[in-house]
Amino acid sequence: MNYRVDPTFKTDLKKFGLQSWNDCFHCGNCTAMCPLSEDSFMFPRQAIRTMQMGLKQKLVSSIDPWLCYYCGECSDTCPRDANPGEVMMSLRRYLTSLYDWTGLSRKFYTSKVWEIGAILLLGGLIVLAFAIFWPSISPELTSEGGVRINSIIPLKWVEYGDWTMAIIVALLLMSNLFRMYLKIVHGAEAVKIPFFLYFKEAWRLIFHFSTQWSFSKCDGKKYWLWHWLLMSGYTIMFIIIVVFLPWFQTEEIYDPWHPQRLLGYYATFGLLFGLIAVIIGRLRKINAKFKFTHVSDWLFIIMLLLTVITGILVHVFRLAGMPLATYYLYVAHLAILVPMIMIEVPFSKWSHLAYRPFAIYFANLKKEAQKLQEKSGTNFATT
Amino acid sequence: MKDSRIGVYICWCGNNIAKMVDVEQLAEEIGKLENVIISRDYKYMCSDPGQELVIKDIKEHQLDRIVVAACSPRIHELTFRKALENAGLNQYLLEMANIREHVSWVHTDREIATVKAADLIRAAIEKVSYHEPLEKLSVDIDPATLIIGGGVAGMSAALSIAEAGKQVYLLERDEKLGGHAADIDLSFPYLNSVASFLGPMIKRVSEHKHIKVYKGTTIEDIFGYIGNFETSIKPNGGGKEELKFGHIIVATGLKAYDPTPIENYAYGRIKDVITSSEFEQMLLSGKILTKQGKVPEHVAIIHCVGSRNNDTHEYCSRTCCTTALKYANQLRSALPDAGIYDLYADMRAFGKGCEELYTSTSGRNIMFLMFDPEKNLPVVSEAKQDEECEMIIRMEEKMSGENIEVPADLVILMTAMEARDDAKDISHIAGISMCGNNFYIEKHPKLDPVATTTDGVYIVGTCQGPKDIPESISQARAAAARVLAGILRGTVAVEVTTAVVNEDICCGCQTCISVCPYSAITFDEEKNVSEVNEVICKGCGSCGSACPTGAIRSRHYTDRQILSQIKGMLNRGKLKITQTIIEEA
Repeated sequence: MNYRVDPTFKTDLKKFGLQSWNDCFHCGNCTAMCPLSEDSFMFPRQAIRTMQMGLKQKLVSSIDPWLCYYCGECSDTCPRDANPGEVMMSLRRYLTSLYDWTGLSRKFYTSKVWEIGAILLLGGLIVLAFAIFWPSISPELTSEGGVRINSIIPLKWVEYGDWTMAIIVALLLMSNLFRMYLKIVHGAEAVKIPFFLYFKEAWRLIFHFSTQWSFSKCDGKKYWLWHWLLMSGYTIMFIIIVVFLPWFQTEEIYDPWHPQRLLGYYATFGLLFGLIAVIIGRLRKINAKFKFTHVSDWLFIIMLLLTVITGILVHVFRLAGMPLATYYLYVAHLAILVPMIMIEVPFSKWSHLAYRPFAIYFANLKKEAQKLQEKSGTNFATT
Repeated sequence: MKDSRIGVYICWCGNNIAKMVDVEQLAEEIGKLENVIISRDYKYMCSDPGQELVIKDIKEHQLDRIVVAACSPRIHELTFRKALENAGLNQYLLEMANIREHVSWVHTDREIATVKAADLIRAAIEKVSYHEPLEKLSVDIDPATLIIGGGVAGMSAALSIAEAGKQVYLLERDEKLGGHAADIDLSFPYLNSVASFLGPMIKRVSEHKHIKVYKGTTIEDIFGYIGNFETSIKPNGGGKEELKFGHIIVATGLKAYDPTPIENYAYGRIKDVITSSEFEQMLLSGKILTKQGKVPEHVAIIHCVGSRNNDTHEYCSRTCCTTALKYANQLRSALPDAGIYDLYADMRAFGKGCEELYTSTSGRNIMFLMFDPEKNLPVVSEAKQDEECEMIIRMEEKMSGENIEVPADLVILMTAMEARDDAKDISHIAGISMCGNNFYIEKHPKLDPVATTTDGVYIVGTCQGPKDIPESISQARAAAARVLAGILRGTVAVEVTTAVVNEDICCGCQTCISVCPYSAITFDEEKNVSEVNEVICKGCGSCGSACPTGAIRSRHYTDRQILSQIKGMLNRGKLKITQTIIEEA
């Protein structure tokens, strides 16, 4: 098929954080040294060329940007300072906005006003809801009666809220994933995939989600560790607060070695360690991957950091027996957490938690299907 | 063999000869031959110490003949002739044996190559013993110069010569001066207006007291030789005018390639596919519009149209890449929001300021797309009705390997430079050789780039090959310097290895006149014999071999010299190295 060139594409991609489109002279150094690039998926040079020519039909169906974990080696060694890593990053943002059928992702990525406005709006709604339903503070809710978080804000409400949020986010993500699937597997670069392969390759989803195995192949293992700590802390905390909230958020304070507290502490540690490392990295620009920080990158880090800090403070105040401080901070905690998840997970940077493992899954489906085709082809030829 | 004292010098040419020819053994054995007083081998005979060696030996051993076995005489015969002269020996008492181009470079068996080298050296020894001392002729030089072609090259040469106070006759076929440069809007790489310098140049040429311009004038024939040429012209088709001049500068220029035969580009079929010359006209008119009068939203520039492809011209036309960059710049300035696509094969933006132009142009939102000029040329076709553009160009983009489509409302073909249709006529008139592409050939591609094999005739500008304006002007000024040097010298030495007629034997059959490629022989009706003009004669030997009575003798290549050369070559028996080979055979 013939792809149509579009000279305006790179201008569009600049809104998604593209730094330079013209510096690359296609020596191929980046592709040669990339530890993740392989015969079936050659990047980043090819992606850069596709970007330069604005072959949108090709880009939409391309998995390559998701297979790059941005170790930054390509940008560090690029003889033209063309920042191939950042090209891949901006393509990931662009693709996220393409998968999203609501159009909100594009708005959030390309406009600070839209993204910050949406966060403030959702956070404001949470605060407003609590203001409306705020009970009168009876004596048993003061320090005399102890800190009773589940009484002032009934646990059931929060749990219902949690599930509602999780379902909305899941529906949005799944519908976007389906669109990703259609574009990649049935799009311009379609390969016919035998049905059984979908099951045979499914293990990769869980494996890659939980280990980030591909990332570990990148140079600089510490970045993989930071990312893994952050990811595991985030996932554990998400599961705890959505699925096991009644088990986790008890009025009774268990002793420090209780699994409830240990698990919470691990998740907090993972989140905090990962976040601080990334923030220092971005501030000091210690690596090519931290050199350019898009608004969406900062918002994601700041929102998560605020969530973690308010969460820790809620815990500290509760242990210290400070009810009012605990209650107000809990409201603040939710007012940050809810927009973070509602905005960032389906529409912005956090969506990569779903797109990355699925990209690897789709990539392997295509590869295996191609292998089978070649095999049957050669068999046919020899007989 | 004539008694003589011969010195033989065998060159290693570094390792060029020595690796395939046993030069040391050869020198030793040749030294044993009759009449050979000295036989040496040396690393580089053409070097100063090498020449010194010859000079010293001539003086010390009273040598009267020299044989140098080295490279082709085309390269160093003059060098060694000079050495002989410096030693007080007549320069024609030299013979060269070419054991590099004819032996070491073309053979792979060292033993056989050595035997062949020995054969050639023996032949040279036999021949040189019959060489005669000859004295060079000298002729006066007419100080006027004829320049054919009134483009930038011709005009620059004319001005340089006229400024020195010497007369120039400038012939221009068209009714106006300026040539192709007059059709160009801006020049690359600095995007200066061509008219701003061409206008004053034309004015200076037209008004110069030492330049006589003949517009609308062509030339039919030129007679004579260096220093003494003459022709008759009919300016503007009017009365005859006789011109006499000592030098000729040919600056006839080029022709733009007609892209109609390349079907892929649909030139002539789709109206908005235009050539670079047509686009220049558009730029000069100040309006970039499609044939329907619309401002194009997408403009594609296609490089190498007629260049770098075996079906058209194999060579690179040298200026089109940078011209295309110039267009891209002009288009971007005129159409800030248009899509501008540059379909190139390799970006050859070499030369001062040109790579910089490429860099700055590529920052102006121009999409550069690469194709292979040898296969898969882009295909231009009309777009479907529902498309937003007029044309679609389909191509295999080389850097990505993708098949892509490029929208276009206007397509500019960067057409090749090719030799003019009348290049052949002028080459006959002025006595210039042409290469396969009908461009004129210079005397030496590096050492003598504006001279031709005909003395006194120079070639400048694009008649010699594709060039830009500064290159053409540099050549013009170089040729002007050569011409002025000739005028200043006043006389010119002419090669005397020519043919001479023995009037006693000549029967007046005129066979020689019919075979002479240089028109150097005339017939003396009174004496009923042929006469050779020694200044025009190149000593090719055609007449000598055609003469039925043996009346014509080629100096330096007499029958006796040639026969002794053959004898020397065949007489293998005397050398030890050749004997082993003969026994083996």
